[in-house]
Amino acid sequence: MAPTAVTPEFDRERAAAERAGIDASCRGPVLYFAASAAFWLLVGSALALVASVKLHTPYFLTGIPEFTFGRARMAHLQAVSIGWTSMVTMGGCVWMMCRLCRTELIYPKLLFVSGTLWNVGTLLAVCGILLGGGQSVEWLDAPPYCPPFFIAGLGLVSAWVAATFRRRREPHVYVTQWYILAAVFWFPWLYTVAVFMIYWSPATGVVQPIVNWWFNHNFLGLWLTPVAVGTAYYLIPKIIGRPIHSYYLSITGFWALALFYSWAGMHHLIGGPIPAWLSTASTVGSVMMFIPVIAVGINHHMTMRNHFHRLKYSPALRFTVFGAIAYTWVSFQGSVESLKDFSEVAHFTHYTVAHAHLGAYGFVSMIYFGLYYYMIPRLTGREWASSRLIRVHFWCAAVGITIYFVGLSIGGWWQGRMMNNPDVPWGNIVVYLKPHFLSRTIAGVLMTVGHVAFAALLVMNLAGWGKKRTGGPTYFVEKT
Amino acid sequence: MNPATFAVLAVVIGSVVLFGTATVLALGWAFRDGQFDNLDRGAASIFGPDEPVGEPTDAFPE
Repeated sequence: MAPTAVTPEFDRERAAAERAGIDASCRGPVLYFAASAAFWLLVGSALALVASVKLHTPYFLTGIPEFTFGRARMAHLQAVSIGWTSMVTMGGCVWMMCRLCRTELIYPKLLFVSGTLWNVGTLLAVCGILLGGGQSVEWLDAPPYCPPFFIAGLGLVSAWVAATFRRRREPHVYVTQWYILAAVFWFPWLYTVAVFMIYWSPATGVVQPIVNWWFNHNFLGLWLTPVAVGTAYYLIPKIIGRPIHSYYLSITGFWALALFYSWAGMHHLIGGPIPAWLSTASTVGSVMMFIPVIAVGINHHMTMRNHFHRLKYSPALRFTVFGAIAYTWVSFQGSVESLKDFSEVAHFTHYTVAHAHLGAYGFVSMIYFGLYYYMIPRLTGREWASSRLIRVHFWCAAVGITIYFVGLSIGGWWQGRMMNNPDVPWGNIVVYLKPHFLSRTIAGVLMTVGHVAFAALLVMNLAGWGKKRTGGPTYFVEKT
Repeated sequence: MNPATFAVLAVVIGSVVLFGTATVLALGWAFRDGQFDNLDRGAASIFGPDEPVGEPTDAFPE
């Protein structure tokens, strides 16, 4: 009997069925992480608005101690850094690793334990801070009973990503996998060491802020950045149907980031009471970051060349490309900010706040929104219920972060110039900043409106309100 | 040397050794395994018969 001919159509259906099976294997835990992250984004947005309004209207909510500026801002930071970005990072790592390894997720239910531990930890962190239990350690301000939840939850995710990699059927390790593997290896170590040296066996004196800023900068650089850049390296080629312009550059960029990013944290302590060689070495590392950033920037731009018209048609691409452009911008800015002459003006001002938000929101969050718009329909098997809400989300987020960045960058720069001038009274600086704070609130309202639209879309999709798709640009194959 | 200083040094030196070794091992494995031998094939590894090169895979819902 002659063997059955393998036709292109047969190949296509078999590959689609394999991809659908992989998506189905990780559907539960990834959706759990994604939905939890969206919830914490809403909580973080509300807390951000409270804190922002207080900057220009100081008597707002004065009767409620839980919402004093210090507590609301700290709680906002925990909700968005630990709750929102970290939960998307973990969910995205699991989903992309399964797809890139072409293997199904094993024991998916155990990842629900990880997600629950993380949610409990975040809840304790946010509520603990609002009730007055916050610690005066930037980014690590959660009460000391929270870290064990995060370490346990993170350990499970890292182990599952490693186990998925071990079981891979695709022999080639794509650049996104390099980034993900590095992130799930680096971050548990980074977090555990920071907590150990600040809370469990506290280092003394100036070593504490050194550890603190080493952690803070690397939270973005060795946790969020690798996964967000890796996500862009997966989504942009997949969406436009074109391989990366230069795979060689992408690999070079990864190894350059691995080599230089971890040096950069000490530039936050320029002018502080730390050894001069430490901040100088950090400045060198920060400037060396031009290498991976230029590599990524060239690669993303050249991959998109002649395909920019697709931004009109693809929501995921629109968010991802915005995030990729913001990555280049914020990284260049970060390298320049690490120079001591520049720091003389920009340090300890709202210029740094604008920079941090361009990184965490304009770059990381925008790419993660793109990930949602691509990933969720493939997991639920349903399209998004409303194009209009997606457009509302995009424009509110894009215009919001632009207003935020421009308003605080200009205000922060002049704040720094005035602070360096001993003839300018402090009160004048506060009065000068007021309109800039107002622009921050307007931007915050816009972004929050976008987040509500995004959350509504997610709830509708999870509730099965979207149209079921079996073909077209989003190619689903139902399992038989 | 008091215990706290020792703990700090142990963590810092241990981390440098652990991560330096891990990086060298990962890079060595990648070269031995031929991960960098055919970069064009590597770039195309995310595509397949169901989502081939040349076919966009995302659009606004109708």
